[in-house]
Amino acid sequence: MHKRISSLARLGIFAAIGLVLIALSGFVDELRVYQGAEVAVYVVAIASITLLTGYSGQLSLGHGAIMAIGAYAATLAFNGWHIPWMAALAVGALAGAVAGYILGFAAARLSGPYLAGTTLALAVGIPSLANQFHVLGGEQGLTFDIGDVPTWASHSWLAKIGHGDFTTYKWFYWITVPIALATIWVVRNILTGPIGRRFKAMRSNPTAASLIGIRVSSTKVAAFTYSSSLAGLAGAMLAMILGLSAPLVFTLTLSFTLVTGAVLSGVSNLYGGIIGAMVLVAIPELSASVATHLGGSEKVTANLPGVVTSLLLILTVLILPNGARVRRSK
Amino acid sequence: MQVQRSTSRRISIAFAALTALALVSTSMPANAFSPHSEVGVSGSTIKLGISVPLTGAAAPGYNKVPYAMKAYFDYVNANGGVNGRKIQLVIKDDAYSPALAKSVTNDLVLKDKVFALVGTLGTADNEATTKFVNDHKVPRLFINTGFSGFASAKKYPTTFPLFPSYAMEAKIMGKYIADNFPGKKVALIYQDDDFGADALKGFATAGTTFVAKIPYVSASQSDPTVVGKWIGTIVQSQADVAIMFGVSSATAAALGGAYKAGLAGKVQWILGSVGSDPTTIKTLAPTALPLLTGAIAASFLPSPADSSDPYVKLFQDVNAKYNNNAVFDNNVLVGMNTAMLTVQALRAAGKNLTRASLMAAISSKGSTWASAAFSPILYSGTSHVGYSGYWFGRLSGNGDSTPVDGAGKYVLYTTDSGSGAVVKATINRPALPEKGLPNN
Repeated sequence: MHKRISSLARLGIFAAIGLVLIALSGFVDELRVYQGAEVAVYVVAIASITLLTGYSGQLSLGHGAIMAIGAYAATLAFNGWHIPWMAALAVGALAGAVAGYILGFAAARLSGPYLAGTTLALAVGIPSLANQFHVLGGEQGLTFDIGDVPTWASHSWLAKIGHGDFTTYKWFYWITVPIALATIWVVRNILTGPIGRRFKAMRSNPTAASLIGIRVSSTKVAAFTYSSSLAGLAGAMLAMILGLSAPLVFTLTLSFTLVTGAVLSGVSNLYGGIIGAMVLVAIPELSASVATHLGGSEKVTANLPGVVTSLLLILTVLILPNGARVRRSK
Repeated sequence: MQVQRSTSRRISIAFAALTALALVSTSMPANAFSPHSEVGVSGSTIKLGISVPLTGAAAPGYNKVPYAMKAYFDYVNANGGVNGRKIQLVIKDDAYSPALAKSVTNDLVLKDKVFALVGTLGTADNEATTKFVNDHKVPRLFINTGFSGFASAKKYPTTFPLFPSYAMEAKIMGKYIADNFPGKKVALIYQDDDFGADALKGFATAGTTFVAKIPYVSASQSDPTVVGKWIGTIVQSQADVAIMFGVSSATAAALGGAYKAGLAGKVQWILGSVGSDPTTIKTLAPTALPLLTGAIAASFLPSPADSSDPYVKLFQDVNAKYNNNAVFDNNVLVGMNTAMLTVQALRAAGKNLTRASLMAAISSKGSTWASAAFSPILYSGTSHVGYSGYWFGRLSGNGDSTPVDGAGKYVLYTTDSGSGAVVKATINRPALPEKGLPNN
């Protein structure tokens, strides 16, 4: 009973934070609003890694591929069935869940480096499928245009706070921020409930877990399914704010970037994912100003973010080798 | 554990603080105190932006375009600029990826706050940024793509394509083949996106039939097995003529592959204007040289090796002085020509430069401006169509393209992107302004 109340109270706090964040969008320029939407997308994507790796103890290097599946499913559903964007995002999450469910069966038989290798192969292979099937739009991808900002949003009292026009990017921010907060709330509830306890038991010691009656393989499948539905949702959100699903959006780099974001924030730290997401969005900008100050060429600017991301990953692992274990002692 | 947790927290806080600081510090508008109200224009500068592939499969050759533009702008700046303002060009790499083009265009418009985009390259890349550019009413001038769709003023109100469309090019090429290679078997290799689709449309209008049509995904040209399949299909189809409609790196791959397969001298290659820069091709695939020599290429600008052409001569001089004497090829020529038109557009838009006055100036006066191309420019209040014609040249290994009828004998064919006829047109090009500095 106590738990239920605190969870509802948390929902209230999250709603209040959401309102404040949305009101803030009236006071910053359009680039920051867009970056805010990017942060929201990364928060959802990192939450999917946190759930899988941080809690159920399975490693995936292929979440970029699951994001691609979610993105293409949402785009195809939106363009083909003419459904509302909200339903399209749900289709993305569902497609991710289905992919995760299938992947989970493979994952149940694999562990450690074998699982990492399998998921890595997915990250390489899946996005290039778009080049094989015409319906997926090839290299150029598919447009995902949710259209103009609805008047109920641009004329709402919230929109009157601050200044500036109600741009499409602001609308993306309005959509993605509540989704990100809702994701954290839901994932937190899952992880603190019976499912989360099963995940943790399995992560700590699979043999012991099965001795107390936890079915390890179906728990692994469940973890992959939950996690992938979030990755699918994040992919659909990314396609929406980019206005495009294309193979080059979902590169191997994206998969690694997500893992970096999760590791940066402590892989089992759900709230830390917000910081991880902010750092990921800030890296290209920081790199660009560093490269400009050093007088580097445009090519240096283009390649520096990758180097910085990799360096951060290495440094985090070196400085906090057991970062993921910190919260386990709780 | 406790120690580790506090370390972890401290690091997290440090990250958060650094991030916040970085975001705030880069939020400061660069021209907050500018007396002029238009974005990207101050009392002394005009800031323009370009997104091009500087890395990746399409980069070879194209990566020279923005620097050639910059060189010509530097030349104009050194001679007083435009109405007292100096032109700055912000160059960003999009690696020929629509997704990256989208994000760097965001940066150019929202962070660098450029006045206009100029010469942005690639059909898919320009498509990906269209909604954003339209929403923000950012002028997008003289884009480096020939997709005929961009000429729709309704769909792309702020976009002014310059190159003749791929549909025009394919139609003209179809007519040229029908006239010069009647009854021959023709094969076509093309990039499988809107670029290729536009070409297929043109060939269909011209009534060209193919013994083999070979689509490929952009960037797959770096895969030898893919190229092997192209050549295998050409050999199997027993084609006499092979048309290449792709970027220069794809042409290089195809010619290199064809040489290995022993096709030298057996197939007449005809190259689309996008991928026919000999300097780029022979740098990428030296083995392609025997096939490159004698290949026929469609062009709308004069041959870069033709120093007797006043425009080419001027651009060669500017290249020597302001572009570190880069190898002078089609890409440099395209870049400088685009920059010269940009300067005329900026001048015509007047001292009180705004995005609206710039676009109005192009519509009303663009058709009269000096440019190196042989075909007229067709901008008007109702048309966003730029050039409309091509001539055919035969390539030599040293980068020279000599008109097929003999040196200096440029024969221009013009047409439209629809069902209009292909006609031989007389060349009536505006004279080069004195010292190549626009005085419009």
